[in-house]
Amino acid sequence: MEIFTFTFVQYAFLAGTSTAILTGLLGPMIVSSRQSVASDMFAHIALAGVGLAAVFNFLPLFGAFLVLLVSAVLLWWVVAEEKYATDALSMVFLSGGLAVALALIHIARNQAISFDTYLFGSILTVTQTELWLMAILTIVVLAVLTVFWYPLLSVVQSPAYRVPYSRRPQYIQLLFFILLALTVLVGLKTVGGLLIGALLVIPTLIARHFVQSFKTLTILSIVLGLIGMYAGLFIALFVDIPPSSAIILTLIAMFILSLPTKKILFYK
Amino acid sequence: MDAKTNNIILQVNNIYKAFGKNVVFKNASFSVVAGDIVGIIGPNGSGKSTLANIILGFDSEYQGEIVFNNDVRIAYVPQFSNSDKYMLPLSVYEFIRSTANAYYGLKDVMNKSVIIKVLQHVGLDKKYLEQNVYSLSGGERQRVFIARALLNNPNFILLDEPLASVDYMSRNELYSLLQHLNQTHNITIMIISHDIDSIVNVCDSIFYLDKASVKDCKPKDFLKGSKTTQALKYNCKI
Repeated sequence: MEIFTFTFVQYAFLAGTSTAILTGLLGPMIVSSRQSVASDMFAHIALAGVGLAAVFNFLPLFGAFLVLLVSAVLLWWVVAEEKYATDALSMVFLSGGLAVALALIHIARNQAISFDTYLFGSILTVTQTELWLMAILTIVVLAVLTVFWYPLLSVVQSPAYRVPYSRRPQYIQLLFFILLALTVLVGLKTVGGLLIGALLVIPTLIARHFVQSFKTLTILSIVLGLIGMYAGLFIALFVDIPPSSAIILTLIAMFILSLPTKKILFYK
Repeated sequence: MDAKTNNIILQVNNIYKAFGKNVVFKNASFSVVAGDIVGIIGPNGSGKSTLANIILGFDSEYQGEIVFNNDVRIAYVPQFSNSDKYMLPLSVYEFIRSTANAYYGLKDVMNKSVIIKVLQHVGLDKKYLEQNVYSLSGGERQRVFIARALLNNPNFILLDEPLASVDYMSRNELYSLLQHLNQTHNITIMIISHDIDSIVNVCDSIFYLDKASVKDCKPKDFLKGSKTTQALKYNCKI
């Protein structure tokens, strides 16, 4: 167990904890509101921010942060018009974000930034600065969720509850998109933009059959996310596969195992 | 804007609404008397949900005007499809509490006693609080939906297809509940339905949507009618 004395391993577990907590918190809301594709959209758009940071030479996660905030507001504004379905719009933003990212990556091809780090994650290379950023974002999201928990529940139901002659739920919807964007941002370095969706969705899909309320669903999703994260990281430390791959494959294995468990528990 | 007559809670004046070339309403007008139970009926595609969206302010792209009485407090019970098996668990408490916040914002201090009280109004006790709202029977779930609408202490409730996924036995109980709320709390109730047989006995007046207009009918006009929509048109004495 000497390996756990290394700073980069400790950072990896701390970053993983942060990611699993945030995805566990937001995952049930994503699944409930049928916006799983929105998380993928934010992940791809974040890559455009990374590209921007590469071109103008600043911290990649900061570039992703700026682009994610702008895109969250933009998506909300277009969705509020109620002309197009959210998933279709998300696909437009996803492709657009990726196209911008590709262009910026091409322009910044001589820079030292590795885009694979943000596509597939690189939890073992998390720096202290990135860890602080993740910690701050986790605290902010937790604080906002604590205050706005019930209003958020009303807008993530499908269909979302609408209040006659009031725009309040629409503003809560904006808050939801921003929280989702921040969660994707934290996951960008740990499991990567292409895999963060799995971390958001799989724990919720496992947990949903074993609970009666949204609160317990969220708690169980966090616990399952942490188990998948720690187990995946542990495997990756001793087997030569990328950590993000090990984490997601662990979660998929948990999901497959949960299927007969559900049947045994409810149909015995 | 005030309704012109004191006992009129809602006036719908000369509504024109079209989706492309498809005109849904043309000069559609009617008024709702405060304290009445009103039915909005019509075949599929006649514009029932469109009308509901216009009345509730969800759709602002129309011509004409919707005039509510000044002291109106509106609530609505949306249509729920029982075929959606992917709903995530949500306890009755969470379901009602989340809406309370959506209505009142964070200034409102909600506690369980308030929610237990609205549940009692719809004939449910506190044991339902921790149950998953989506695993309840159709009738129980619809009661929870109505309880949620009551949080706003409304004097006007619009229910969109309230009998969808409610079994036949529970329908009468549900309508008894609506009549009770109407009489004891003086709540004006507007029921949107495609099934005239189910609402004809509880409504004081019925508006029939047909050919882009709204026809004011009396429930008795439908009692002797055929069950088919086509026959309803001829039995409706305008």
